[in-house]
Amino acid sequence: MSSEPQIVGTAIQGRTGQVPAVAGGAFKALLVVLVLLGIVGFGLGLASGQADRAWQAYLVNLLVWLGIAQGGVVLSAAFYLTQGRWLGTTQYRLAEAFVGFIPLGFILFWGLYFGRTLIFPWVLHPIPQKAAWLNTPFLFARDGLGLALMTVLSLALVRLSRGPQAAAWQRDSADIEMPPREMRRTAVALAILFAVVYSLIAFDLVMSLAPQWHSTLFGWYFFGGAFWSAIVATAVSAVVLRARLGAHNAFRNPTVLHDLGKLVFAFSIFWVYLVFSQYIVIWYGNIPVETFFIVHRVYHMPWEAISYAVVILMWVAPFLVLLGVRPKKSPAILGTIACGGLVGVWLERYLLVVPSLSPRAIPFGWVQLLVTLGFLGAFVLCSLPGLNLTAAAALAEPWEEHE
Amino acid sequence: MSGPVEIVASFADESGCAGSIEKLRTAKPIAVRVFSPIPSHHIEHAIGKRKSPVRAFVLTGGILGVISALALTIGTSWEWNLVVGGKPIVSWPPFIVIMFELMVLFGGISAVLGFLLNARVPAFEIDAGYSSRFSGDRFGVVVRCEEGDSTRFESILRDAGAEEVGREAA
Repeated sequence: MSSEPQIVGTAIQGRTGQVPAVAGGAFKALLVVLVLLGIVGFGLGLASGQADRAWQAYLVNLLVWLGIAQGGVVLSAAFYLTQGRWLGTTQYRLAEAFVGFIPLGFILFWGLYFGRTLIFPWVLHPIPQKAAWLNTPFLFARDGLGLALMTVLSLALVRLSRGPQAAAWQRDSADIEMPPREMRRTAVALAILFAVVYSLIAFDLVMSLAPQWHSTLFGWYFFGGAFWSAIVATAVSAVVLRARLGAHNAFRNPTVLHDLGKLVFAFSIFWVYLVFSQYIVIWYGNIPVETFFIVHRVYHMPWEAISYAVVILMWVAPFLVLLGVRPKKSPAILGTIACGGLVGVWLERYLLVVPSLSPRAIPFGWVQLLVTLGFLGAFVLCSLPGLNLTAAAALAEPWEEHE
Repeated sequence: MSGPVEIVASFADESGCAGSIEKLRTAKPIAVRVFSPIPSHHIEHAIGKRKSPVRAFVLTGGILGVISALALTIGTSWEWNLVVGGKPIVSWPPFIVIMFELMVLFGGISAVLGFLLNARVPAFEIDAGYSSRFSGDRFGVVVRCEEGDSTRFESILRDAGAEEVGREAA
């Protein structure tokens, strides 16, 4: 059950005498303040006649942060499926660090029910041909069921993965045994379900905001972006933990940052590939009901500027900067690109949601800022236990200079 | 009788072979040639091999591919104007696909050519000192040196764990 944390804990105590905490009391207090600011900002937004902006910010942030948390667990599942053990138990603890936000995100999903009239245009103006699919009870039933399955499966995978059997397999990289049977099954189920459920989320919570528009590849594009956001979040965490944990931790090994940099680089290309795949089909067809979605975002200010920023942050910069080996191994460069990537993911989700609902809105204001800070605080707060486990694992498997 | 001679040594293990190369390099013979039955990072490191020149071939080929694709797509569009759906004659989005494909094609072909050129393949003369054992289960090190230095290099090879040390017939 929860024996693995104790095993890791004793291993650390044997080496350094204490289990280090990633964050101090002051930092936790700051996070709590951020959460309170978010709640206050959301409430004030609702009270001051900006309810639409408050709910849009809520939806954008839910998509961003739940995507990172879920993508991280899927990354761990991908490590099991590829039998990756380039960083022992640490790589699994790192990818699973954000799992704590998944149950909270599931609860927050139900909050959308109260803002449905402001979020979903088809609630007040139903489209007769699509009413069988786009109606409130069915949407919340299917998405709620999907997210419930994902939550249960993710928690199960992380619990198994932190268990003694999986941890023994993760550590023993000289052994070419397959991962434990239940890990293999859970990982496959989770990876497949992720593709299905997050496509559904993309269609229901993003594409349905412009109910006339459709793109078949949109679901794939959406969960590909979520997966990438988890990869950049792990890269940021690795760079931060590397600096915080002193001279002897697993993240000091330059090949680890190299590997994370390769993942950031590769899936950035995958993301732009999916962008272009959708773009070229719509461009060729040139049908107004398909092109308006892109024209509005790429040729009309202020969205035009955000579109360019997203492509630069999510593809141009990672591609050009991380092309070589040395930038990937540099914590400062990889960390900067990864932080930029997180900003890019946030802007991308914003760009997918808001122009559909408020075509001519001024993009940002205090409501969006406060709600985002609240979600950020809640996300980091939920991730702290996982990050502590990551730190313990990184210290238990320190990098040996002569390896 | 003086002049360069070639000493051939065989090794049963990779690390002994790599170790002998490192020692030989500090002793500065005229040339060292190594035969390995397997690709070995250990030996590559010992030889002090620089980064492969094939990389430059791939880059050049890739850039040439992109330029060729631009010439092909834009050139044919100008040569035979087809207005489709009110789009400009030179509409770049679909050209990206051709540019990507030709970049991969030219890059790939120049990688193969670069490899063949740099590996001097096909080779019709077998390098001196080669023995079929070096394609089987033995590593071979051939040292070219002055006649007077030969005993010194022979002892270096023996100390590094060579199984057999002999002279290549001149």
